[in-house]
Amino acid sequence: MIHAVLIFNTSGVSRLTKFYTPLHQSIQSVVQKIFSLVSTRPAGLCNFLDAPELEEFLGFKGDADERWRVVYRSYATLYFIFVVDGAESELGILDLIQVLVESLDRAFENVCELDLVFHFDEVHHILAEIIQGGLVLETNVEEIDVSVQEAARARKDSFASSNPLSLGGSGLGPRGGNMKTPLGWLTGKLTGVGAR
Amino acid sequence: MATSMRGLTQFIADIRGARVKELEEKRINKEMANIRKKFKDGNLDGYQKKKYVAKIVFTYILGYKVDVGHMEAVNLISSPKYSEKQIGYLAVTLLMHENSDFLRLVVNSIRKDLDSNSEVDNCLALHAIANVGGSEMAEALSEDVHRLLISPTSQSFVKKKAALTLLRLYRKHPEVIPAAEWALRIVSIMDDQDLGVVICVTSLVMALAQDHLDAFAVCYTKAVDRLHRLVIGHEYSATYAYYKVPSPWLQVKLLRLLQYYPPTEDPTISSILHQVLQTIMNNCGEPTRNVQHNNAQHAVLFEAIGLAIHLDTNSPLVGTAAVLLARFISSKETNVRYLGLDTMAHLAARAESLDSIKIHQNTIILSLRDKDISVRRRALDLLYSMCDVDNSEIIVGELLRYLRVADYALREEMVLKIAILTEKYANSYKWYVDMILQLISTAGEHVGDEVWFRVVQIVTNTEDLQEYAAKAVFEHLKAPSTHESLVKVGGYILGEYGHLIANEPGYSPLEQFQLLHSKSQFCVAATRALLLSTYIKWVNVFPEIKPQLLNIFERYRHVLDAELQQRACEFYALASRPDDDEFLQNICEEMPPFPPRVSALLGSLNRKHGDTGDKRTWIHGGKEANLDREITKRKTLMVDTSGSDNTASGPAVGGQDIMNALAGLTISPSPNAPSSTPLLEAPSNQPRLTTGASVDRWFDKLTYAAEGVLYEDVQIQVGIKSRYQSHIGQLAVYLGNKVDAPLTSFTATVHVSDPEALSVSFAKIPPSTISSRSQTQQLLHVECKKVFTTPPILTVSFLAGSHQTISIRLPIVLTKFFEHVKLGQSDFFERWKLIGGEREAQSIFSVVSGHRLNVLEEIDPNPNNLVAAGVLHMSVEGKVGCLLRLEPNREAKLCRLTVRSTSGDVATEVQKLVQKPLMVSQVP
Repeated sequence: MIHAVLIFNTSGVSRLTKFYTPLHQSIQSVVQKIFSLVSTRPAGLCNFLDAPELEEFLGFKGDADERWRVVYRSYATLYFIFVVDGAESELGILDLIQVLVESLDRAFENVCELDLVFHFDEVHHILAEIIQGGLVLETNVEEIDVSVQEAARARKDSFASSNPLSLGGSGLGPRGGNMKTPLGWLTGKLTGVGAR
Repeated sequence: MATSMRGLTQFIADIRGARVKELEEKRINKEMANIRKKFKDGNLDGYQKKKYVAKIVFTYILGYKVDVGHMEAVNLISSPKYSEKQIGYLAVTLLMHENSDFLRLVVNSIRKDLDSNSEVDNCLALHAIANVGGSEMAEALSEDVHRLLISPTSQSFVKKKAALTLLRLYRKHPEVIPAAEWALRIVSIMDDQDLGVVICVTSLVMALAQDHLDAFAVCYTKAVDRLHRLVIGHEYSATYAYYKVPSPWLQVKLLRLLQYYPPTEDPTISSILHQVLQTIMNNCGEPTRNVQHNNAQHAVLFEAIGLAIHLDTNSPLVGTAAVLLARFISSKETNVRYLGLDTMAHLAARAESLDSIKIHQNTIILSLRDKDISVRRRALDLLYSMCDVDNSEIIVGELLRYLRVADYALREEMVLKIAILTEKYANSYKWYVDMILQLISTAGEHVGDEVWFRVVQIVTNTEDLQEYAAKAVFEHLKAPSTHESLVKVGGYILGEYGHLIANEPGYSPLEQFQLLHSKSQFCVAATRALLLSTYIKWVNVFPEIKPQLLNIFERYRHVLDAELQQRACEFYALASRPDDDEFLQNICEEMPPFPPRVSALLGSLNRKHGDTGDKRTWIHGGKEANLDREITKRKTLMVDTSGSDNTASGPAVGGQDIMNALAGLTISPSPNAPSSTPLLEAPSNQPRLTTGASVDRWFDKLTYAAEGVLYEDVQIQVGIKSRYQSHIGQLAVYLGNKVDAPLTSFTATVHVSDPEALSVSFAKIPPSTISSRSQTQQLLHVECKKVFTTPPILTVSFLAGSHQTISIRLPIVLTKFFEHVKLGQSDFFERWKLIGGEREAQSIFSVVSGHRLNVLEEIDPNPNNLVAAGVLHMSVEGKVGCLLRLEPNREAKLCRLTVRSTSGDVATEVQKLVQKPLMVSQVP
C-alpha cells in the first residue's frame, strides 16, 4: 500500500502532502524528516530508501522485514516522494511517479513548481485519479487525463451556472489561460475559465 | 477553479510573497481570524463557503494546523453544484481522519451521492470513502459500494473506484464484507475489457484472497490467463503499454497474487505459467537506453523471479533467475543492485541449496561497503538469509568487522542478526562465546539484554564451556573501556565459574576481583547489584579475598539506593557468619541449568504487527523459518475460516510462530530441518450442487453412457463425450450458449474432493467469453490414481445480465476405468472362490444393464444369471480385478448382485454404481 505522497522542492518546502495513513505527528515534522533523509542522498544512489526513522510518525510497521520504504525521484526543483510498505514493487512505484509527473504535465502543459502552488486543488484531483486510498487506481495517462477533464468540465458547468456574470460557459477553450503568475487570476476571471 | 476565486489567489500570492516565516504566519493568522468571523456571522452563500474552505485547505497543505471549516466542508458536500461539492469532498478527505466525529454527518450525503445518477458524483463519494472511511462507513455503505462495483451499468471509472473503495472498507472492517459469498462475482470482474478495472479488481482480490484462499481459488486461473494474454498474446489496448511494456503494474500485481497461493497442481495452468515466466525472463535480455522502459521491465522481472522461486526453487527457471541475479548484484545501476540483492535474499530464504548464491559470496560481502545505505541494508539481509553452518564463520566474521564502521542506524539490527546467526549456526561453543563477547565489546550500546541473558543461559547449561567462558570474559574485561553488558556477563560468569580458573596464573581471585571491581564505578545501580551478588558468591569460594569483599559490603550498607542497600546488608550479614557455617555454602550452590528454552532473539526481530496490509510472501532467514511460517499461516487461516471469530487466536498463533522458528535451536553441527508437520485437513469447501429434477437423471445416465447431455437450462447447455483407456480418460465438455447475448466472464473449474486419487484438469484454460448461440468445446484430462468414490464437480459461472453459477457432478466414476477381460467358466469360478466372501459386496434388487465390465456368456449354469468381469486400471494403486454376478429371480421379482474384487473398496463402489441405474429404471 502507498501510505503517503509528498512533493517538495529542493529547499524542503512542501508542495503536496497526501497521507493515506493517519499520522502520529504533525505533517511538517514528517516532511522535514523525509526531506532530511532524501536530500542528503547524492545523485546516483538508488531511488529507494528504508526508513525505520518514520516509525515514530506513521506508526510501527511490523517485523524487521516490513518497514517503511521511501521511493523518490527528483525532477528539476521538485522531489516526488512515495512512502510505501513491502506490498508494493519498488520499481512499480518508480513508474507510478513517472505517470504522476506525466499526468501533471498533461494537465498543466509543461508543469512547473508554480502550477502546483496555485492549482493545489487540481493537483489533488489529478492525484485522486491515480491513487485512491493508498492503492493504484489508474496508470494509463490517457485515462487519467480523460477523467481529469471530465471532472473539470463538470466543475466548470456548475461554476458557470452559479455565476451568471462569468463570461465563459462550458464552450470556451478548455485549456487557455494557463497561469504561471500570481496575476493569472485576472485572465482566469476574464475568460471565465475556471480550472486552469 | 482555485484561480477563479480572486480572494484565494490573492491569499496564495501574499503567502508566497512573505519574505520570512513570521510574515507568512501573520498573514495566515489574519486570514484565519477573518474566516472564523465570517463563519460565525453565517449567511454565507455556496461560493463564499467554497472560497473560505479552499483557503483553509491551502493553509492545511502548507502544514499549519486548522481547526475551522469542518462544518462548512460538510455542508458543501451536499451542495447541488459540482464545483462546491468537489471542494467540500477535498476538504473532508484532507482535514478529517477516519475517527473524526464530523464524518457521521456526511454518511447520508455520501450515500446520496453513491445513489446519484451522475457518475462524477459517484466518484467523489467513492473517493471520499476510500480516503476516510472507517468501520462506521463500512457498515453503512459497503452494500452500496459493492452494488456500484458489480452493476452492469457502471462505467469503468466508477468500477475502478468502487473496487478500491471496497478494499478500503474491507481493511477497516473485514466482518461487514461477506467475502466468500461475493468471491465469484468479484473474481469475474478480472475478465473486464478495461485493464484499468482489472488492475483495481486485482488489488481487491489480492487482499480478500489472502484471508479466503479457497473461496477465491478461481482467481489463480484468471490471473494466469491474463498474464498469458498480456505477455504472450499481447492482447491489450495500446494506451496501457507503459514505455512498450504491457501494463507493468497489472503484471506485477498478478505475479504477486499468485505468490499467495501454493503452487498449482494443474499441469495445464502450470505449463502456461511456466511459459509466461520464461518469456518475461527472456524479454529482459536486451536492456535498452530508455530508463523508464528498463524500470518497467525490471519491475516485472523481479516479481516474476519472486514467483518462480515461490513455485519451485529447483526448477530450471530459478537456475536462469540465479544467473540473472548474479549479473544484477554487480550492475552499475544502483536500483538494480538493490533489487538484485533483495530478490537474491528471497531465493536464499527459500532455496534447498544455497550453492548458487554462495559462489557470489564475495560480491555480496563487498556490497556491505556499497556507497548507498539502501544497498548495504539489502546486503545485510541477504547475508543473514544465506548464512548456514558452512559459511557462518566467514559471514559472522565479516559482519563483526563491518559492525565497527557500520551506519549508526544499521547497528542495532546488525547486532541482533549477528547474535542470532552466531547461535544458530555455531560449530563449536567456544566460537559462539568468542563471537558474542566480541559482539558485546564492539557494539555494547546496541546489545539488548536478551543477548547477554542468552550467553549466560548457554554457558550455565553447558558444563565444558564454563572454564573457557570464564577465561574469555576475563580477557575481554581487560580492555580499558568496556560496555556495561560485558560487565554484567563478566559479573555473572566469573561469580559462578571464576573458581574454575582461579589456580591458573593471571586469573587469581584477587586479580579477578580487582578487574571486575574497577568497572563498578562506571555502572548503574542494577549492574552494581549484580556485582554484589558476584561478590557474595566469591566469599564462598575465595576465602582469601573475603576481607576486601566484606569491606565493600560494609560500604554499600549506607548507600542511598534501596536495592543496593538491602543486598549489601543481607550479604554482609551472610558473609560475617563464622567460617565453618554451612549456611553460606548452601545458599551459594552453583546455579542449576536453565530449563531448555527458546531464545527471545528472533522474537524481537519479528515483532508482530497489525494485520491491515498485504502480508509478505516470505521472510528473511533460512528456509526452515519460511516453512514454519507457511504452516502457521495456513493454520491461522484455518482457524479464521472455520468461522470461530476468536480474534485472539491470530496473535496467539503468531506468537507461536516465533517460538516455532526457534524451537530446537540448540547448538548442533547441522540443525536438521524440522519435519514438516502435516497441514491441518483443509476444510471441506465443496461447491454446493445445483439441483433440479433432471440433474440426477442426466448424471446417472452418463455414468454408464459415453456421451449425452449433462445439464441444460434456458441459458446454457452442457454436453459430454468421453473416452477412456485404462487409467486415463478424456472428456470433451461442450458448453453451449443458448441466449442471444454472449456469456462473459465465463469460468469453469473442476473440484476434486480427493486429488490424491483422481486428477482432472482442463487441457487449456477455458475462454472467458462464449458468444451468442454458439458452442465451445473443452477437453478434460482425467487420470485415476487410486480408488475414489466421489465424482468431481464442475462449476461453471458466467455473466448473463446477472452472475450465474452452476455446479454439477461430472460423470467420472470408478467403473469408467475398467477394461474387459475374457475368462472361461473354470477360470471365473476359480477366481470367484479365491477372492472369497470377505471382499464381497452383495445386494438384492431387480432388473439388468452394463457398465464397462464385459458380460461373459455361458459361464453360469443358470442361463438367467449374468456374469461379468473387468480390470480396474489405476496409475498409483495398479490394477484390480473385479468379478460380478447378477442373479435375477423372476418369481420373487428380486435380483441379487454380487461383486467380488481383490479390493474390498472397489467391490463396494462397483456394486453401488451398477446397482444404481438398475434400481432407478424400476422406479418410473
